[in-house]
Amino acid sequence: MWQNYFKVALRNIYRNKVYAAINIAGLALGVASCLLIFLYVQDELSYESHFSKADRIVRVAGEIEHEGQVNKFALSPPVLAPILLKDYPELERVTQLANARKQTIWYKNKSYNEENLLFADSSFFHVFDYEFLAGDPATALDEPRTIVVSEQLADKYFGGAEQAIGQVLKFSRDSYMVTGVFRDQGHSHIQANAFLSRSTLDTKRQDVITDDNHWFHMNRYTYVLLRDKSQIAPFQEKLKTFAATHVTPWIKENELAANMTFMLQPLPSIHFNTVYTDDLSPAGNINYIYIFAAVAVFLLLIASINYMNLATARSAKRAKEVGLRKVVGAYRSQIIGQFIGESLLITLLAVVLALALVQILIPTFNALTGKHFDANFFLQPEIALALFAIILFIGAIAGSYPAIFLSGFKPVDVLKSDKSPKGGSAALRRTLVVIQFMISLIMIIGTIVVFSQMQFLKNRDLGFNKERILTIDIPVGDSMLVKQLPTIKQELLSNPNIESVSNSADIPAESNSTILIFAEKNGATLQNAMDVMFVDYDFVDVMGIQVKEGRNYSRNYKTDLKGGLIINEAAAKKMGWKDPIGKRIQMADWDAKVIGVVKDFHVKSLHTKVAPLILALVPESSGYLLVRLKPQNMPATIGFIQEKWQAFDTKHPMEYFFMDEHFDKQYRAEEKMLTVFGYFAGLTIFIACLGLFGLASFTAEQRTKEIGIRKVLGSSTGSIVLLLSRDFALLVLIAIVLAIPVAWYGMDKWLQDFAYRTNLSWWIFALAGFAAMSIALLTVSFQAIRAALQDPVKAIRTQ
Amino acid sequence: MNKELLIETKQLQKKYVTDTVETTALAGVDLSITKGEFVAIMGPSGCGKSTLLNILGLLDSPSGGVFKFLGEDITNASERQRAKIRKQNLGFVFQSFNLIDELTVEENIGLPLAYLGVSKAETEKRVMEAMERMGIAHRRNHFPQQLSGGQQQRAAIARATVSNPSLILADEPTGNLDSVHGREVMALLTELNEAGTTVVMVTHSPSDAEYAHRIVNLFDGQIVTENLNVRKHVAELL
Repeated sequence: MWQNYFKVALRNIYRNKVYAAINIAGLALGVASCLLIFLYVQDELSYESHFSKADRIVRVAGEIEHEGQVNKFALSPPVLAPILLKDYPELERVTQLANARKQTIWYKNKSYNEENLLFADSSFFHVFDYEFLAGDPATALDEPRTIVVSEQLADKYFGGAEQAIGQVLKFSRDSYMVTGVFRDQGHSHIQANAFLSRSTLDTKRQDVITDDNHWFHMNRYTYVLLRDKSQIAPFQEKLKTFAATHVTPWIKENELAANMTFMLQPLPSIHFNTVYTDDLSPAGNINYIYIFAAVAVFLLLIASINYMNLATARSAKRAKEVGLRKVVGAYRSQIIGQFIGESLLITLLAVVLALALVQILIPTFNALTGKHFDANFFLQPEIALALFAIILFIGAIAGSYPAIFLSGFKPVDVLKSDKSPKGGSAALRRTLVVIQFMISLIMIIGTIVVFSQMQFLKNRDLGFNKERILTIDIPVGDSMLVKQLPTIKQELLSNPNIESVSNSADIPAESNSTILIFAEKNGATLQNAMDVMFVDYDFVDVMGIQVKEGRNYSRNYKTDLKGGLIINEAAAKKMGWKDPIGKRIQMADWDAKVIGVVKDFHVKSLHTKVAPLILALVPESSGYLLVRLKPQNMPATIGFIQEKWQAFDTKHPMEYFFMDEHFDKQYRAEEKMLTVFGYFAGLTIFIACLGLFGLASFTAEQRTKEIGIRKVLGSSTGSIVLLLSRDFALLVLIAIVLAIPVAWYGMDKWLQDFAYRTNLSWWIFALAGFAAMSIALLTVSFQAIRAALQDPVKAIRTQ
Repeated sequence: MNKELLIETKQLQKKYVTDTVETTALAGVDLSITKGEFVAIMGPSGCGKSTLLNILGLLDSPSGGVFKFLGEDITNASERQRAKIRKQNLGFVFQSFNLIDELTVEENIGLPLAYLGVSKAETEKRVMEAMERMGIAHRRNHFPQQLSGGQQQRAAIARATVSNPSLILADEPTGNLDSVHGREVMALLTELNEAGTTVVMVTHSPSDAEYAHRIVNLFDGQIVTENLNVRKHVAELL
């Protein structure tokens, strides 16, 4: 019997190539997108899963509350770790990481800049069980000046893991001996190329990272391994009193006006942390996971709807067969089985095609998402299972309605040659088309909104001129080089195509320090935590920041050094100063008066509002060298700068970037999202139109006789096209009306993530509606015109 | 005639109800058909003859009265029961042949056996026999639309008889055929009847009706006359 069904199914596919192609292509596109999205989601959710103790590890994040404002840091102070371990027996281990960021490493007279370097203490590998290719994880970081490197680094420097052990890598101050090599594996928010022994820091104080008992020195990432995962919630409960016992007395003693609390972040959730700042790696956005999962379901749904609509619409063609099978004794259940089997077969063909599509698309998808998916992914059991589920889902869901509908035909009704049954419920079909277009429209509107927001972000006046600022990343810890900075600046300025040069510790789009300040207000002293950027005399000029009140730093005023400070408007506002110039601020070793107020400029991405900020003068700041270029002849100027710089810095390769690109990097996650989402939006409308195309050709076919009679009676081609297109246009119109409020609500929510956002203006909706309507009409009218141009005699006769 | 009753109906009724109109298709039909009979049902268009045939063939259910098949009251049988009786006892021949376009002649003929769960080897054998009997074995791998009308109807008859049904129901079997092919089909039905199969046929054509033992005339849903086909009986007696 199955053989018989199979033959009939295959022959039906073969005889109705267009419909079969629409169904299979639509489903294949849907399934292929679904697979890609599945890979993406699975990948995003796989963070930390390779650590065997992941479910028992939590990170302790510090929150500092000051004047009602809460700053949430992924960081915590060094002093926290030993106290936690002492006070809470349920903790098996406590380990801390400190970010050493980027350093220059010398090996055999060559130097390399290496990123993602972390200081870790000796218990780190007891908590995070990295797989070691060489060395002993239990003892690798016990000794000062030891380093555990990644497999990749070991290969790069020593040509293999075994060879790496015992070798010495020279950093700017110390040399570290390699005691272990770990395998690069899995996804983790800890992206490390090497772990340096933290005990090195205890042997002498180093200016990058300092150890002390200051509770507000937030420069460690503290991870706790609990003995049992059920203790996480009780431990969080206990931590509520921790600050009262340990931190509050210290705050009182130091007369500080702030409060501190500690929150736990379960390890697997850290990748999606968007609350705590200064994390080790950029966070993933869990909302995007939800959105993509929804998109996957939508795509499958739209393709399934095509199948349902075309199958029932064309059911008249199958009616005779159903009637006959019943006449010769088929049970209804057997006929249902046959049609569900048929839809399973179509789905299976679609899945095979989808797998081929995915093979072709994987490199592009990798480029879009920045991930590294393997083309052989479908050999994974999870994927195979997902595929199986997809086949069942579509085969059964999309197949069951046509199956139940078709199997309900009565032989008496369908076997008489003068009767042909109506092709299923037209109302249901219309509803499904409306749903398809509604989904497509929502996605199109979404894409346009995201795109216009991106444009808005990029074109918004940042309060400084980000164009043509070549930024050199000055290597850390090279005091000789720092001393020569004024000379370098002089030499650079000799080139007429260089407008100005500044050296600063901080730049926009990089994290800056938050410092406790004491400021006067109405004769009293206010305590405040405030963002500070350390800059030189030229920073304001090079950046193109506007001075609103007072003046910029000047070499002519000796008192500007530690005696003067520039603040931004937001800071003045926060202090409640009507006339900020001359107000007193104390911080660290500054005892200063405000000498200038600059117009607010964006240091961080436009997700956040401009925060109060102090520009503090430190002429020898040596984080970055900012070079403002003239638009003329930029490649030559860059060459000139490179040559000059390397003349002074012979040890490190020069690293530079442009400020505008660097700033826009902050939106890369959104941009990736936009691109991927845009493609999927295009796909949904394409698949929906495939279905519409099929339905339109079905309608034209069904109304051949009517069209013929109308033409005989003198109807014009135009009016027939109109007649056939009108119904579909109405459906799309309904979809537009329904989609707009849903899209408006969703996109308004998305925009709430940005402190500065574009308006949801009417043209976005109009454009999307117009686009959908045009595409739909184009699809339908193709069929309508074909039908209208047919010879009427033929139409009447064939009926 | 003391032969076993195959079909017995008492006051069989069928009404079609649409939104506003109630149409009576059968208004109390008493009909008995014994095994081995060849019965023709005649009457003008709309007299209810096709409705009667559909009910006799268990494709439709009556709105009233009693319908017995092989002595068993199946007036209110479920769809599943009726499907079972259909596949075990009945064969159908239609005016428009009703072969499945996607199946070859051989596959079409084998279909009833597939639903009966007959083995593949047995099916092959019986299909071959049926095809040979109908003289279409050389067309076995063709699709219906590649055959002439006469050939299609012979394939349809082969399909109706392949499961050795006790009753064949034929609805205007020659309606779509020219006279030569029409006579051919009637000869085949007669042959089957002579081999013991009961045949009930709806027809417009008096010449086709001549092949039957008995002619039932229907008018406005009622049997108006029931005649023995004297010529046929005489022919058989001689």
